[in-house]
Amino acid sequence: MEEVLNALARALSFGTPLLIACLGAILNERAGVVNLGVEGMMALGALAGFAVAYGSGGDGNLWLAVLAAMLAGALAALLHGFVTITLQANQFVSGLALTMVGLGTAGLLGKRFEGLPLFNQPPEWPFTLGAIGLALLLALVFQATHLGLSLRSVGENPAAADLLGIHVLAVRYAAVAAGGALAGLAGAYLSLVYRPSWTDGMTAGLGWIAVALVIFVGWSPIRAVFGAVFFGLLYYLQFRLQGQVAIPSEVFASLPYLLVILVLALSGLRGQQGNAPEALGKPYRRGER
Amino acid sequence: MKKTWWIGILAALAFSFGMAQQANLKACFIYVGPIGDVGWTFAHDEARRAAEKAIPGLTTQYVESVKPADTLATVDRLVAGGCNVIFTTSFDFMDPTLEAAKKYPEVIFAHASGFKRAPNMLTYMADFYQIYYLNGLMAGALTKSGKVGYVAAFPIPELKRHISAFALGVRAVNPRATVNVKWINAWFDPVKAREAAEALMAEGNDILAFTEDTATVVQTAARRKVPSFSHYNSMYKYAPDYVVSGQLVDWSVIYIDILKKVQNGTYTPKNLQNVDYWWLAREKAVMLGAQVGMPINPKFEPALKQATMVVNGKRVSVYDRVMELYKDIQSPNPKWDPFTGPIRDRNGVLRVPAGRKMTVKELNEMQWVAPGVVGPVPDEPK
Repeated sequence: MEEVLNALARALSFGTPLLIACLGAILNERAGVVNLGVEGMMALGALAGFAVAYGSGGDGNLWLAVLAAMLAGALAALLHGFVTITLQANQFVSGLALTMVGLGTAGLLGKRFEGLPLFNQPPEWPFTLGAIGLALLLALVFQATHLGLSLRSVGENPAAADLLGIHVLAVRYAAVAAGGALAGLAGAYLSLVYRPSWTDGMTAGLGWIAVALVIFVGWSPIRAVFGAVFFGLLYYLQFRLQGQVAIPSEVFASLPYLLVILVLALSGLRGQQGNAPEALGKPYRRGER
Repeated sequence: MKKTWWIGILAALAFSFGMAQQANLKACFIYVGPIGDVGWTFAHDEARRAAEKAIPGLTTQYVESVKPADTLATVDRLVAGGCNVIFTTSFDFMDPTLEAAKKYPEVIFAHASGFKRAPNMLTYMADFYQIYYLNGLMAGALTKSGKVGYVAAFPIPELKRHISAFALGVRAVNPRATVNVKWINAWFDPVKAREAAEALMAEGNDILAFTEDTATVVQTAARRKVPSFSHYNSMYKYAPDYVVSGQLVDWSVIYIDILKKVQNGTYTPKNLQNVDYWWLAREKAVMLGAQVGMPINPKFEPALKQATMVVNGKRVSVYDRVMELYKDIQSPNPKWDPFTGPIRDRNGVLRVPAGRKMTVKELNEMQWVAPGVVGPVPDEPK
């Protein structure tokens, strides 16, 4: 029993940044914008959060650190928004570029924070509970509010939304900024809570797992909770079961990716792209079809 | 008129630049991880800066986070930039470095932690295996569950040597204790290191040691009030109450020695085939410690003084034994070595006959592991 609880605790702890980043990505993808820059935004958030927490020293600055991380993520995302929404450039290319720029910038600016210890370590559970609460809230907003309806219609059929008087570009900008803020928050969780210190490369590919998770959970915030915990459990088990069972740990390590491929293949067989929003990845030009 | 003026200036600049290139030594470093890893790459970079300060006329350059597949391309760039000595600081860079040495016979290459050499390529290593044994003694004395956890990077000879030396130390104090190993298959991955450490503690390991390039294991262990050993650099500041001791490195003594010998002509691109540095505590390349100047965290001294072990039929405190051996390996002629036979591997095969010490070559190619090591060990001979 204790083992099960412990494994669950690890799954939640590892799953929290995944869930937060995944919810952010779901938010902007539901509005029709793909942002593959999650890893880069997480790195920027991790650095901004750590820098503020360390720079302000002592206690009571956690909120400020978290705010800085979200701001850093949102600003980076707005850059992506400008390039893809206003300039209508390819979203995939812009997102990939954002990942590289984000990782590079964070690495460069983070030099002076490398290797410094952070003593004021916040507990993990408020973040985990907050992330789950956010998932519930998002599901509610998507399903039962006018705001959610507008957001989804912008992602499904921007032309129709435009006809209904919804400001497509404004909604997309807002969704992209919010998505970036959440990616930044996920990064702050890493540098303030999960592994309280700053190191270049500390996001370790988690942003990419979060991007894959969006597809795996079919753009559903509720399923994202289970998806993140499931990925977290697999991640933990690759170490916990190493040397305890005959299955090589590499199998567990690759399972999350194998599952994503499997889900994609199945949705392809069914002749649909899962629950992907219709207008996902397509820039909106007024008056064009 | 104006044009010829410019050409004259440019020619003069080019000429003086060319002269400077010849007169000065330019040493370049290829790192496998980011400098901020707090571990391996950080230590190499500290040594690079120390060498630059210590050697007049030396300039340096580095490239961090280089993937082994990009080694040769990085060397190309560095040679084009005027590097005449190139240090490659990862085991995975071994073969590409050899290839680069053949491509640029006039450039001196130095490869850390490997065993392949060429007329213009030497090898060097600051090795921890003796220090690991001393840490093993302390871990054996401090564990209550008899289970010591080890977060390990890759199953290569270097780690098998270190884990085995550590396990020999643990068992010298506590013959029934085990060293439980989890491989993360990465030199630098704080996320994997965290979950591997969590898994080890969930299995009841109450002391942790590791080989990974961040302070993650130390931080994770401290969160659950579990003592741990610092690796590579001082990680004492991350958990002053829980870091018992550790392995500390000072690569600068090796770098300064090599570069001075290149500068004064002792080392040329023709005579390095047999140059191998295997520097230990005796050469001051490695130290025992929670941080520099603190071999053992004072918080753990009472417990280590109380714990005893049998050495040559006599009971001594673990603390005294650690200090005695540490003094010995720092002396000009150490008498003691952890890999002195008879040593059997964990399958019972005699690997080192009684009275014989393992050679550097054997240590570099070691694939077996010592008794007490638990967990899958790839490439282990049966």
